[in-house]
Amino acid sequence: MATQDSRSILFTNTHPQQGFRLLELTPELEALLSSKDAPALELKSPSAALARAVVDPSAPEYVNLCTPTQTYRIRQVQSSNSLHILRPSLGQISRADIKVVEEEAGESGTLNLPDEAVTAIAKCGSTLELHVPPGGFSAVPFLEKSLGLYEKRSGDDDGDIAMDESSNGAGALGPAETRQMRDRVLVDVPVSSAQCEAGWTEICAFVDEEQGVCWRPSARMRLNVWKRLMEGAILQGIDLEKQFLVGDLWKSVLDDDDASEPFPRALLEAVARRLCVEDERPSLADEIKWASFDKAECTQWVGEIYLAATAPTPSSATGRSDFLREWKDCLPESWRDEVALSKLQPGSYQSPDPTTICFVEPSQRQQVSKTSAAAPAAAAKAKTTRNWHELLKNQKRR
Amino acid sequence: MPSITLHTRSSGITQTTPANAPSHPVHNPLPQLLQTPSGLALLELQATINVPTSEAEQDDRSEDNGLANSTSYETPIGKLMFPDYSIHNPDDTKWMKRVYLYVGRYQRMTGEVKKLPRPIAVLQKRAGTVGTEELEVVEIVRYKVFFKSRPEPVNDV
Repeated sequence: MATQDSRSILFTNTHPQQGFRLLELTPELEALLSSKDAPALELKSPSAALARAVVDPSAPEYVNLCTPTQTYRIRQVQSSNSLHILRPSLGQISRADIKVVEEEAGESGTLNLPDEAVTAIAKCGSTLELHVPPGGFSAVPFLEKSLGLYEKRSGDDDGDIAMDESSNGAGALGPAETRQMRDRVLVDVPVSSAQCEAGWTEICAFVDEEQGVCWRPSARMRLNVWKRLMEGAILQGIDLEKQFLVGDLWKSVLDDDDASEPFPRALLEAVARRLCVEDERPSLADEIKWASFDKAECTQWVGEIYLAATAPTPSSATGRSDFLREWKDCLPESWRDEVALSKLQPGSYQSPDPTTICFVEPSQRQQVSKTSAAAPAAAAKAKTTRNWHELLKNQKRR
Repeated sequence: MPSITLHTRSSGITQTTPANAPSHPVHNPLPQLLQTPSGLALLELQATINVPTSEAEQDDRSEDNGLANSTSYETPIGKLMFPDYSIHNPDDTKWMKRVYLYVGRYQRMTGEVKKLPRPIAVLQKRAGTVGTEELEVVEIVRYKVFFKSRPEPVNDV
């Protein structure tokens, strides 16, 4: 019921209008933005070359909103309604115009100007919505396309010495430059910095300080690093399961009588960072000084890397018993009992025939798990949803 | 252009205010619930407000020259009314069910104040950034005034 103190507020349209965008927030994002020290966010899209290399089937062009740890895909949703943004009026209203709304305004009308006025300063025909696809976001596919593959054959020493000499003049990069090199790669990867860092660590990517190049080591290279560091650790009596100095491990890898390095120290550090137990892992910005490895996690990693290096495709599948034996041989004596096919990540391998085994690339692995997981999830969703589009869609499928 | 910074309210160096915002605080006549620190509020119409466009084009040009402030003006459209709202009883939310928007003198739309299912961040290009494009969150809005019905004829109020 209208009462005496219900007031009329003059509603005006300001010209020129301003440009705004409306972004629908998720509960987590709202909490983040409402917090006292909210961090700056980033809108990231892949570079043109990366967008072509890593094709997203759902959207040819896209922008992701990245918090320090999370990534959201932005979707522009058109609305047939118009959303106006209002703000209190500044009173730049011509009194003559007010006749449109009130005959005697200004003198004896009920409107008190300019206090009681709001004005529309912008109109938005669409809002931006955020969503996260079922598989989440990962930096790995982008890093695989943007970083060069670091591969060195064992008989390649001469070539490498020559390379070292040629780059001696430039001098090694310092930590700040190394970071810059890495950031230059990551700026084009359209996911949050935490996810960039996780992906970088996952694939053991590193910055070659001598050559000033960012690399991702091949599976064979990672396996070589592992073999060298394990042998070195055994020789020098380093217990990988207890905290050790990464510098000591590096020394153990170097041959006493041979001055040349088998691979860059940054690569050893990248592998140590990957295998380091998670709560001791320093951020990429910090040097990894100390590390300790987890037996089970290491065993699994070595098994998968070995398979990726020796049997990457079904046509190059290796015998199962050979694989298990080789896998054991890659591990310290006391870890050999850990070896079992069940220790590998589900879906990380397949068997072209009953006696052989080969590796499955993570990108293909996800598709397998998605299709198997999607059906029950969709059925569960159909029960809870009130959206008839989804209800009908699932009925048809069955 | 791979990355654009989206500043949040506390990440900026200076306290952010939307472009063209008044330098002194302006009285906000809306009910308390709809008031936000920046004064911005949302109004949704199942309709379009038509304003003459010939002038608009001229003004757009002057905006490019940085004269936006001096040429800005307001055109009255109608009146907003919250008939059941009382400032003496702001906790009672029944008033939200009825809002009137008079268009001109003889048409009225009836709407309501709705809590947004998900809050909406109002983004704007950051003022004073040269060369690089930067955005900022100028406000987080949690309610909107929503008119979904057609206007009905009324007598002059």
